[in-house]
Amino acid sequence: MKARRNIGWLFVMPATIVLGLVGLIPLITVINYSFFEIFVLDARYWIGLEWYEEILGSGRFWASLGRSSLFSICILSIEIPLGIAIALCIPRNRMWVGIALAVVSLPLLVPWNMIPSLWLGLLNPQTGVLRYILPALGWPADWKASVPHTWAVLIVMDVWHWTALVTILCYSALTTIPTSHYQAAAIDRASPWQVFRFIQLPMLRHVLLMAVLLRFMDSFMIYTEVFPINAGGPGGATTFLAVDLGEDIKAFNYGPSAARSVIYFLIVLTVAWLFSRAQGKLDSTENEGAA
Amino acid sequence: MTISPHIFALIKVVVLTLFIVFSCLPLVQMTLMSFSSTLPRPNAEVGEFTFANYTAISTNPQLRLAFINSIAYVLINICVTVPVAIPAAYAFSRLSFVGDRHLFLAFIAFRITPPVVLTLPIFQLFSQLGVVNSVFGIALAHCLFNLPISIWILQGFISAIPKEMDETAFLDGYSRPRVIWTFILPQISSGIAVTAFFCFMFSWVEVVFARILTTTNGKPISMAINALFGFHTDIGLVMAVTTASMIPGAVLLFAMRNHLSRGFKIGRV
Repeated sequence: MKARRNIGWLFVMPATIVLGLVGLIPLITVINYSFFEIFVLDARYWIGLEWYEEILGSGRFWASLGRSSLFSICILSIEIPLGIAIALCIPRNRMWVGIALAVVSLPLLVPWNMIPSLWLGLLNPQTGVLRYILPALGWPADWKASVPHTWAVLIVMDVWHWTALVTILCYSALTTIPTSHYQAAAIDRASPWQVFRFIQLPMLRHVLLMAVLLRFMDSFMIYTEVFPINAGGPGGATTFLAVDLGEDIKAFNYGPSAARSVIYFLIVLTVAWLFSRAQGKLDSTENEGAA
Repeated sequence: MTISPHIFALIKVVVLTLFIVFSCLPLVQMTLMSFSSTLPRPNAEVGEFTFANYTAISTNPQLRLAFINSIAYVLINICVTVPVAIPAAYAFSRLSFVGDRHLFLAFIAFRITPPVVLTLPIFQLFSQLGVVNSVFGIALAHCLFNLPISIWILQGFISAIPKEMDETAFLDGYSRPRVIWTFILPQISSGIAVTAFFCFMFSWVEVVFARILTTTNGKPISMAINALFGFHTDIGLVMAVTTASMIPGAVLLFAMRNHLSRGFKIGRV
């Protein structure tokens, strides 16, 4: 049991002040704007919930929400298992660990605005490295006109970019497993699958929860990487939630973009709450196991 | 059905190799292009092997400044984030206070808030504070996502230290801040390294805040690259800047390998 003392507030105060400044104050500003019709920031008038009605009543919002959800589901169902698999494949040998981890993580270090450029370059029919392989695989030169192909590019690009994060997190959790556990498993003649299911996976649970949270939210609100690939097209088929918001902001529609931001923040809050529920559940099952 | 350990080891090597090839594919293309001349020059044909793109980085004052800006804002960000995160992580790990779970929930919510949601008010707020177009603005804005994740990581490291150690120190008459300074800090040094690395990784490549906060001055590498795109884009130079921008991270990643592989546990609150 932790000591119940409000002195804890003193220790979290600096962090609360910083996050209040860069998080809470902007958030309150956005909430405020979302109830106004704004032409310039000095001239505005109260219109209540009109922006919310407009956004939630439009098919565009729900279509984007559906697309973003589908994208996140694809991303999670590929990146999480793949990230775990790669973490399990990383050798135990000291020198190779460093090299394998460093090479696998290189995509994390590319500036985000260059990631679409790199992939467009790769797919370029004149200069791309893949120019001889792609036609043989039946990849059309005019892939930008095709919805499945554009989606495939976005998903492969995101898998390329972010799987390493899952791998790093899982790898570091795997190294906390004592060797005695593996020795015991060897004595019991456990199969690799049993070792994974009963020794490795339980150790990964906390880290995986974090990986799922980060990957879900960042793919759900993907913005920078999507737009340059196909400008949200073809025909709006890759216009995700954050792309909609970005368009509103670029057009200086203060009111609608603020209302949209508030709606998105409510989604964020719901996800964070679900996450903390999941974490609480994980803790209580572990405590029961220990008792 | 049983698979022999040798075949299993072989499968692992093959999977890892395939994934490494996949990871490197776009980077290979990037590196190749960075060493080739992509615009007609007086002394080189288009497509020829050249170091000209890299020498252009060192002679272009704007690009040199961009590298300095990027390093500056990441360092400032780490210097703000880590000292602020350590006491908070200690509190979440060791103390129970009114609203601790809710506060942690709020922190996590800020970590996963997409920057694009807050761009407009952050720009306005930072203009009033006078920190736009400088490295300080970006460093401060990036605390939004780096601070919660730092608290989270450090909190796991502190929770791994036995509580009895604190209690013994209290009996010896140490105050809480002195316990953190004398006993906790040395034991979480590898946690601090991991935290700083994650701050670097999320901050170095971020572009949404970097874009809106640096319209005239203080441009980091990513924005300097954007500025290179134009009517006659020297794509070779763009690729060279991108390649060069990855070198500090790669070095850091290699230096960090032992800390990462010693394992860190991300725990509960």
